[in-house]
Amino acid sequence: MLKRSLVSVVDDDESVRESLPDLLKEFGFAVQAFSSAEAFLASGYVDQTRCLILDAAMPGMTGQDLQQELMLRRKKIPIVFITGHRDDTIRPRVLEQGAVACLFKPFSDTALLDALNDALRMN
Amino acid sequence: MEAHFDNSAEAIKRLQLCLNDLVSILALPAVWCGGGPTQVVDTLLDTLRRMLRLDLVYVRLKGQAGGTPIEVTRTDPSQREMPAPHDVWKALKSQQEKHAQKWPALVREPLGAGKISILAVPLGLQGEIGVIAAGSQRADFPQETEKLLLSVAANQAAIGLQDAWLLNEQKHVSTELDSRVAQRTAELAAANEELQLQVALLQQIPVAAWTLDPDGTPDFVNQKWLDYTGQTLDYVQSGPESWMTAIHPDDRETVSRGLWEGIRSGQGFTMEARFFRVRDGTYRWHLNRAVALRDTEGRILRFVGTSTDIEDLKRAEQRLRESELTLRRMTETIPEMLWSAAPDGAIDYCNTRVLDYTGVPVEEIRAGGWIKLLHPGDAGHVIPVWRACVASGAPYRVEARIFHASDRAYRLCVTSALPLLDQQGRILGWHGTIVDLHDWKKAEEELRNTQAELAHMTRVLAMGELTASIAHEVNQPLAGIITNAGTCLRMLAANPPNIDGARETARRTIRDGNRASEVITRLRGLFSKKQAAAESVDLNEAAREVIALSMSSLQRNGVILRPELADGLPPVTGDRVQLQQVILNLVLNASEAMSEVDDRPRQLLIRTERDETDRVRLAVRDCGVGFEKQDADKLFKAFYTTKKSGIGIGLSLSRSIIENHRGRLWATPNDGPGATFLFSLPLTTQSPADAPAVGAARSS
Repeated sequence: MLKRSLVSVVDDDESVRESLPDLLKEFGFAVQAFSSAEAFLASGYVDQTRCLILDAAMPGMTGQDLQQELMLRRKKIPIVFITGHRDDTIRPRVLEQGAVACLFKPFSDTALLDALNDALRMN
Repeated sequence: MEAHFDNSAEAIKRLQLCLNDLVSILALPAVWCGGGPTQVVDTLLDTLRRMLRLDLVYVRLKGQAGGTPIEVTRTDPSQREMPAPHDVWKALKSQQEKHAQKWPALVREPLGAGKISILAVPLGLQGEIGVIAAGSQRADFPQETEKLLLSVAANQAAIGLQDAWLLNEQKHVSTELDSRVAQRTAELAAANEELQLQVALLQQIPVAAWTLDPDGTPDFVNQKWLDYTGQTLDYVQSGPESWMTAIHPDDRETVSRGLWEGIRSGQGFTMEARFFRVRDGTYRWHLNRAVALRDTEGRILRFVGTSTDIEDLKRAEQRLRESELTLRRMTETIPEMLWSAAPDGAIDYCNTRVLDYTGVPVEEIRAGGWIKLLHPGDAGHVIPVWRACVASGAPYRVEARIFHASDRAYRLCVTSALPLLDQQGRILGWHGTIVDLHDWKKAEEELRNTQAELAHMTRVLAMGELTASIAHEVNQPLAGIITNAGTCLRMLAANPPNIDGARETARRTIRDGNRASEVITRLRGLFSKKQAAAESVDLNEAAREVIALSMSSLQRNGVILRPELADGLPPVTGDRVQLQQVILNLVLNASEAMSEVDDRPRQLLIRTERDETDRVRLAVRDCGVGFEKQDADKLFKAFYTTKKSGIGIGLSLSRSIIENHRGRLWATPNDGPGATFLFSLPLTTQSPADAPAVGAARSS
C-alpha cells in the first residue's frame, strides 16, 4: 500500500481531537491533530498535509484566519471546515475562499468521507 | 333786847364791816373777767376764808356735760385735823337727803371731830352748778351777815363761773375753728399740688392727651396734641368740634357721633380715626379713648382722654394679616394634605385637601375625630407613636391606612410631622403632611413584577444571543458521539474486528453523551423563571459555568479568555442564576466591546478576589472600545447603550440584581484600552436561622 495521505485536524475541542483521528485512521489516512492554528503552523506538517480539517471558531487565530494565512503563504491545502455554529453565512464565505466543504457538527462519517474524497481529488 | 341796845355801836361797826365785805364780793366779777373757772374758784375761796375768818371753805362743781365733779377745799393752815373735801361732801349730802332742797343748809359737827359747823349754799338757783360750803368752829357761826355774804358770793360765783365757762367754750370753739381752717388749708394745698401733678402728667405722657368738660367742650389739650395737629389751645377751645378739623374728612362723622354718644351716656368712648400729622402732612390712624372722672356722688367732673398713634401698629397688623392670608392661601393651594397640632398633640388645623380626602368636617377632626379615620388595624400602632413623639419632640412618621371618602376605602398614606421649637427648645406646635402612597406602593409592586419579567426577558434575549454558542456547545459533544459511534461501527465491521478500538470509541460516546446532558442542565437553570433564592454561592464555580457556556461565543469572536479565580474564595449569599446572569452579561458585553479590535489581541480577563473590605469581588476586564469617564454612571441607566444592537437594559438590570444582593456594581476605564466592570458582594454571614437560639443557649 502506498504511503497514506496525511490529514491534519485543527480544533480546540479535545473530544474532536480524540474521536476524529480514530475515524480518519479507519478511513485509511495518516492523521495529525492540533489544538490551535498557531500550533499547526508551527509544526512541520503543513507541507505534508493533503487535507486540513479545520474548526472555524477558535480562540486566537480562527479557522478563517488560518485559511487566509495559508493563502498568503501560497499553501494550497484543501480545507474541510467543521463548525458547531449553524451559521448560514459561514459556508458561502469559506467556500468562496476556496474551501472544499463546510460541515456542521454533528456530521456523519460518510459526509466526512465524501468531503475528504473531494479534497484528495483536488490534489 | 337790852344787850342789843348796849352793843348798838358795835352793831353799826359790824354793819360797816359787812358792807365793806359785800362791796368786795360784788367787785369779784371784775377780778374774774377773762379768767377761767379755776381762777374764779380760787379767788372766791381765798376771799371768803379771809373775809369770814373761816376754818374751811369747800366748793364742788358738777362736771361739765356729765364729766367728773371738781372739788376744791381751803382750810386754815393753823388748824389740824381738817376734814377731807370728800368727807365734807358726804356730810352735806346726808344732810341734803334729810332735808331735801333746803338751802342754805347748816350742819353742826358733821365730822364727829371738833365743834365745826358747816353752812352750804347752792351755786345756781337749784344748785345746778354745784355747792359752796363754809365751816367754822366759832360758836356764833353762822351769823346773819355771814349767811348773807356767802349767799351773795355764791350768786356772784355762779355768774362768774358761767361767764368763765362761756368764755372757755368760746375759746375752745375758736381754737377748734382755727385748727380746722389750718387743716383745710393744708388739704387744699395738697390737692392743688396733686392737680398740678396731674396736669404735668397729662403734659408729659407720650401721647396726645386732653380733657373735656362734662358737656363735651374741650377744656385742656396737651402740648403733644398741639405739636401733632398744629392746632392752638385757643383754637381747640373755640368750639365744641373745632378740634375735629384734625380728623380725616371721611372719619369726622363717625367720630362726631361716637363722641356725643359717649358724652351723653357718660360712658366715654373708644374709637379709631385718622388724624392729620402736620409735620409730614399725612393722616395716621389713632386710637381715641375717653373715660369719665366722677366725684363721690357720681357726678361727672371731666372726661379725660388720649389719642394714640397706632398707624405703625395697624400697618404691622395689616402686614401680618396679609402674610397670614398668603400663608393660608398657600396651605390651601398646595396640592398636598397639610395639618398642624398644638404642643399637646391636639389637631388644630387641616387644609381643605385633608377634609376633601377624608370627607370629615374640620370640627370633627379637631375634636379627635382623626383617630376614627385610621384603619382599625393601624390605629393601635399609630396612636402610641404619635403620643411618644408629642412627649419627646421626635420627628413623627408612620405609614397607615386612612379612610378615603370618594371611594369609601382605606388607602395607604404616610403621615409625618416635625415640631416647631422656640429658642429654648420648647415645642410650639407641630406641622405635618399626609401623603397618599397607595398608587405609588402599587406601582412599586408592579415595577417589581415588571422588573422580574424584564429580567427574565433579558435572560431570554441574552440566551438568544447565545443560541449559536449553545448550539455549538451541544453540537460539540454530539459531533463527538456521532464520530465515535461511526468509528466504533467501522472497527467492529473490520476483519478482524478491532474490539479494543470499538470499546474505546464506545466509552468516548458515553462520555460525550454525559457532556451534552450537562450542557442541557446548565441551560435549563439559566432559562428558568423563578423567584430569587438565597443560597450559598461559590462565585468561582458560578463564573466557571458562565465561562463554559460562553466559551464558544467568545471563541467565535476571537476573544482570548484568561480566568484568574482566587483560591479559597469565601462564599456569598444570593441567587446563583441571577449572579450568573450578571457575569454572563458582563462577559458578553466585554466580548462585544472588542468585536472591532484588530490591532491587538482581544483579551478578556475574569478575576475573582477577596477585597480589603472583606467582600468578594469579581472583575471583567476587556481591551475594547472602553468609555469616557463622565459616562461611567450613564452606562447603568436603562435603555442607554453604545452597542449597535441590543436595547441597553443589561447593565441596568445587572446593577439592580447586585444591589438587591447588598452589593455594588461599577465600571472604570482602563489605563490602557478598554474598561473593567466590577461587582462586589458581602460575604455570607451566619444567618439567624442557623445561629443557635439565644434563649436556648441561656437555658442550657
